[in-house]
Amino acid sequence: MTATKNNPATALSDAADLGAKMLMGGQVLRGIRDADVQVATTPKDLIWQQDKVSLYRFRPLTEQRICVPMLICYGLVGRWTMTDLQDDRSLVRNLLNLGLDLYVVDWGSPSRADRYLTLDDYILGYLEDCVAEIAGRAGLPKINLLGVCEGGVFATAFAALEPERLNTLTLTITPIDFHADTVENRLGHGFINIWTRSISPEDVDRLIDANGNLPGEFMGAIFNQMTPMRSLLKYNLDLLEIADDEQRLMNWLRMEKWIADRPDHPGEAAKQWVKDLYQQNKLVRNEWTLGGRPVDLRHIRMPVLNVYAKDDHIIPPATSRALGDKLGSSDYSELALPGGHVGVFVGNRAQALFAPEVASFAARHDLAERTG
Amino acid sequence: MSLLDYSKALADFWSAQGRALSQAQEQVGKALAEGIQAVASGKLPPLPSMPQNLSPEAEDLARALKSMVDLWSAATSACNKLLTTVPTPTGSDGVVEATLRKMLDPRSWTSAGGGLDDVLGRMAEGPRFADLWEIERRYASVLQAWMNLRRCSLEHNRVVLEAWIEAARQYSEQLASRSVASLDAKAALMLWTETANRQLLETQRSEPFLQTQAALIRATTELRLAQQELVEHFGKQYGFPTRTELDDVHRTLTELRRELRAMRRQQQQAPAASPASTEAAP
Repeated sequence: MTATKNNPATALSDAADLGAKMLMGGQVLRGIRDADVQVATTPKDLIWQQDKVSLYRFRPLTEQRICVPMLICYGLVGRWTMTDLQDDRSLVRNLLNLGLDLYVVDWGSPSRADRYLTLDDYILGYLEDCVAEIAGRAGLPKINLLGVCEGGVFATAFAALEPERLNTLTLTITPIDFHADTVENRLGHGFINIWTRSISPEDVDRLIDANGNLPGEFMGAIFNQMTPMRSLLKYNLDLLEIADDEQRLMNWLRMEKWIADRPDHPGEAAKQWVKDLYQQNKLVRNEWTLGGRPVDLRHIRMPVLNVYAKDDHIIPPATSRALGDKLGSSDYSELALPGGHVGVFVGNRAQALFAPEVASFAARHDLAERTG
Repeated sequence: MSLLDYSKALADFWSAQGRALSQAQEQVGKALAEGIQAVASGKLPPLPSMPQNLSPEAEDLARALKSMVDLWSAATSACNKLLTTVPTPTGSDGVVEATLRKMLDPRSWTSAGGGLDDVLGRMAEGPRFADLWEIERRYASVLQAWMNLRRCSLEHNRVVLEAWIEAARQYSEQLASRSVASLDAKAALMLWTETANRQLLETQRSEPFLQTQAALIRATTELRLAQQELVEHFGKQYGFPTRTELDDVHRTLTELRRELRAMRRQQQQAPAASPASTEAAP
C-alpha cells in the first residue's frame, strides 16, 4: 500500500466519495423503470407480415438521396434492435440521415411451434418475400441487402441463389469460412467455432429433439463463456463505475436489455446452422443447398461490401474475409472497423466510419446514378 | 472482519461444503440401499426392470464427488494463501477489495462459464425424488440420467477448478515477484482478472474442457428426454396431449404454411397459369 493511500485524510476522502457515488447511484437506479429503457426507437411502420415475421419501413429523417431501398437482415441469434440501440448509437439513424430508404425484417420470437422452420424457409421463404415486397413498392427489380452476422449468411445465400434480385450486397460481421478461426487462432477468439466442433452432429440433433429449439438462454451462456472474467465483474465493479452517471447507466441498461432479449433459434434451422455451417463448413465450399438448390458463391455477381471488426471475438475477421476470393463479383471491397462484434454498432470510432461507407457504397451503385 | 477471520470463515465454509457433498453422497447411497431393502421386503411396490447399469452410475458419481471434494480442498488451501496477500483497503478501494475477494473464491469459478451449468440445470429440472419409490421403470431411467448428469457436472467443474488452482498459483508467483507495497487493491484485482481470464480462456480450448462440456450437454439432453418420456407416459394414461403429438401438429402446420407460401407465389407470378406441384418449394 502506498504512503498516500495510508494517509487517513485521503482514506476518509475516498470513503466519502465512494459513499456519495453509491448514494447517487442508488437514487438514479431507483428512479429508472424498465419502461424508461427503450431500444429501437427510430419511427417505423409495419408494411408486411407473415406468420411471426414482420417487415418495417423506417420513416425518413431527411430527403431520400439514394434511389434503391436497403433492407437490413439480422440473424436469428440476437435481434436487429442492436442496429438501433439508442439515438446516438444507431446505424439505422445514421443511414437514414444519409438519405437511404431503409427497411428491416424482424423475425419475431420463435416458439416451440416454430421448431420445424428451416433456413430454407427463412431465406427462400420469408426473406425472399420481403425483398419482393420492397422491390414492388419501389417499382424496381432490385434492392440493396445488408446482412448482419447470421443474417449476413442469409443475405449471402440469397445473393447466390437470386443474384438478379439484388443491386448490392453489404455484409457485416458475417462468417463465411466457419473453420477460419484457426487462421489467427487468437486466445479468446472463435470459441463458438471451437465449441461447435467439439460436439457431435448426433448431440446437436438430440439437443434439438429435447428442447425443440436452441434456447436463447443457452446461446447466451455460450457467449458469456467467451469473456469469463468480464461476466464476473459486470454487475459489481462495472455497474458501480457508472452508477452515478445517468447517461452512462442508461447506455449500459439498454445494452443489458438487448442482451436479455435473446430469442430461441428454431430447432431445424439451428441444426442446419450448427451442422451444415459451423461443423461441415458447407458455405465456403459451395456444398450448401437450400430448397434443393446449390448455394454457389461464384453466382454472387453484384457489388459486395464486406464489413468486419478487427477485434471480433465471436466472428474472427478471417472467417469473414474468406469471402473475397470466392465470389463471382469483381467489385468486392472490405471495411475493417475498430473494435469488437457489438462495437461495430455502438463504438464511436466504428460508427463514424460504418454508415458513411455503406451509404457511399450504395450511392456509387445506385440505379439512378447508373442509368442517369 | 480481519483478513484472517475472513480466510478462516471461507475455509470453514468450503470445508462445510465438502462435508455436505460427502454427506449428500452418503444419503443418496443410504436412500438407495433402504429403498432396495424396502422393495425386497415387500413394503413398497417393486421397481420393474431397473436398468442393469444403475449401480455403475452410482459408483461413477461417488468417484466424481470424491475427486471434486479433494480438489476443492486444494483450491481452499490455495485461496487461503492468496487471501493473506490481498492489500489492505482504503476508501473506495474497499469495493474493489471486496470484489477481488469474491473473485478469488473458487465457487465463482465453477460458475464462471457464464452460468451454463445453471442454464443446463434449469433445462434439465423435472420430477422430484420424493416420488422415487412409487413410480415405475421410467423413473429409474430418469434417476440414471440424473446421476449421469451430476457426474458429468462434477467432472466438468473439476476441470474448471483445476484451471482456478493454476491461475491462483500464477497469481501468487506474480505477487511474490513484485513489491506488494506498490500494489493497491484495484491493481491487485486487475492483475487477478488478467491472470484468471487468460488461464480460463486457455482451459476453454483444451480437450478436457471441451470433452467434459460436451458430455455435460449430452447428459442434460438425455435427462430431459428421459423426463419427457415419463411425462408422455402419464399424458397418454390420462388423455392429455403429449409433446410428440404437439410436435406432429407443428410439423404439419409448418409444411402447410410452406405449401401455402409457394401457392401464393405461383399465383402472383403466373396468375393465368395452371396450378403446379408445390412440393419442392421452400
